Amino acid sequence: MSALRRILGNNWPVSVFLLLLLTLIVLKGRFNGFDMRALSVNSLPLVLIALAQFLIILTRGIDLSLGPIASVAASLMALHISDNAMLGIALPLFAGLGAGLFNGALIVGLRLPPIIVTLATMSIWQGVALVLLPDPGGSVPAGYQAIFMGSFSSPVIGLVTLVVWTALVTWLLSSRFGLSLRAIGSDELAAQMSGIRVRRTKITAYAVGGMLAAVSGMYLAVAMTSGSPVVGDGYILSSIAAVVIGGVPLVGGRGAPIAVVMGALILTITASLLYFAHVTSFYQSLINGLILLVVVGSPGGRDYAAGLVRR
Amino acid sequence: MNAVRTAAVPLFLLALTLGMLALGQVLAPGLANSGNLLQLLKIASFLGLVALGQTLVMLVGGIDLSVAWVVTGSAVVFTALCAGLDANTAQAAAAAIAVGLVVGLVNGFGVVKLRISPIVMTLAMNNIMLGATLVYTGGTPSGGVSPALRALATGGVGGMPFMVIVWLLVGTLAIVAIRYSRWGRRLLAVGENATVSYLNGIANDRVVIGAYVICGTMASITGILFAAFSGSSFLGMGDQFVLPAIAAVVLGGTSMFGGRGGYGGTFAAVIFTTMLSTVLVIGNISAGVRSIIFGAAILAALIAQRLLTRGEDRD
Repeated sequence: MSALRRILGNNWPVSVFLLLLLTLIVLKGRFNGFDMRALSVNSLPLVLIALAQFLIILTRGIDLSLGPIASVAASLMALHISDNAMLGIALPLFAGLGAGLFNGALIVGLRLPPIIVTLATMSIWQGVALVLLPDPGGSVPAGYQAIFMGSFSSPVIGLVTLVVWTALVTWLLSSRFGLSLRAIGSDELAAQMSGIRVRRTKITAYAVGGMLAAVSGMYLAVAMTSGSPVVGDGYILSSIAAVVIGGVPLVGGRGAPIAVVMGALILTITASLLYFAHVTSFYQSLINGLILLVVVGSPGGRDYAAGLVRR
Repeated sequence: MNAVRTAAVPLFLLALTLGMLALGQVLAPGLANSGNLLQLLKIASFLGLVALGQTLVMLVGGIDLSVAWVVTGSAVVFTALCAGLDANTAQAAAAAIAVGLVVGLVNGFGVVKLRISPIVMTLAMNNIMLGATLVYTGGTPSGGVSPALRALATGGVGGMPFMVIVWLLVGTLAIVAIRYSRWGRRLLAVGENATVSYLNGIANDRVVIGAYVICGTMASITGILFAAFSGSSFLGMGDQFVLPAIAAVVLGGTSMFGGRGGYGGTFAAVIFTTMLSTVLVIGNISAGVRSIIFGAAILAALIAQRLLTRGEDRD
């Protein structure tokens, strides 16, 4: 039980997700392989990019360029994979790695604030994606969908992919690198003094984050069977929202990957819930915003209310 | 010495702007005449007003991402209530400004009383305003701008656009108030060190909430004026202001951690970024390359500024 609690960390995101899932099942009156595939495939890109954001937020940083990095990766993949499968897979990954290293080098090397550096690189990668692929296009053979996301006859693959990535990041965070990340987020000076290579670890966090964002973009390209230069833009802020809904404080140092995954799943499932509850999509962002506020505001709200009562 | 330091960033940005202008003059001879420059200032004024609110919020160590849909929401409320009639202008403007005021109040309350991080608080409010605007309009903004306000936003007196006059007046007021008024000193004190300012008897909470309220209100005013300038309101019209405004504040030398900076630097940075985008458009450069150059220019200015003020920063 304590092991389970340790894995779940802050376990209420899981409960909220299960509650929403139950509501969805009741509303639809079914939950078969098709629904499972839809949920896992729809959530995969957000899950990956939120995990990337999570690694960076752990070090007390933030990355606004992850979404556009995903766009660049999706464009590169769609441009090359039909002619040369190796190139179509390697190129996006290297682009993501390079973009992350660039962010990390500027932030760590010149001690510039992460939010403004990644604001600038966000603009740069948005531009690069537009130069690579001025309009949505290119192509990714549909066969890749069956391999990475499962088809209607093998709906479990999407779910398995989701679990594998979650496990991978959980493993990464339980490693020495993960411990260093948390230590830096809690107290950079103390981490430095206990012999952690702070600069190298932080740069690595941005680099791994960039690569995960690229993988997210590749999933988007596979799902759409083509590329788009703006496909990642929607994830710039929702990746932060998913991390925060997962109970991770923006000051870093704390949080569990599984909770972040739940944060991303909660955001994905509310969209389908509203659809099946016949609520117009206009309410989507209103409700997402309210969820975000309730989640992050409730501890402070409790204290504030208690303060009012005491007075 | 202190004065030189204060002026270093604006002067540096001014030099960059003149460089841009020279480049623009080469690309499109005749760009650098006074008529064009005033037009450029008129376009810059909208960003300048949004960036003013953002400066205040960032001076107290916060950030406001909700201005995007506060601008749009206010514009939409204004055109719907105004319905193109001069008679309705005042009430419609009051209602639209109330939108920003309330959002600012909620933002400030969440940040100060509920201890929600500013990025998340204002991001959530932005989503809420986006949803509320869609629900309010049903997806298509209605109504119109009154002729009187359209004249204010597009016209001028003796070649001098009204918008530029408004911006210069408000901007000067902000520069002076931040540097010399009691309110401005409190703002800087809270941003510099909240504990010390609290122990000195400053009502921190009120100062921070005030900054968010002014920021929301400025966003509303910009929304109304920009709708008047464009002739109508449209969904997403506020998106173009958020990140450039933040970039302008930071380029202008206001610290992301609060307590340091002012509107003078922001003012210069707004002119610089507007000049840069204008030159890129004139240079007939594709949207992608424009975006790359814009990002690279922000990085370059940031790095140059870091090197200029080396050793002064406290982090």
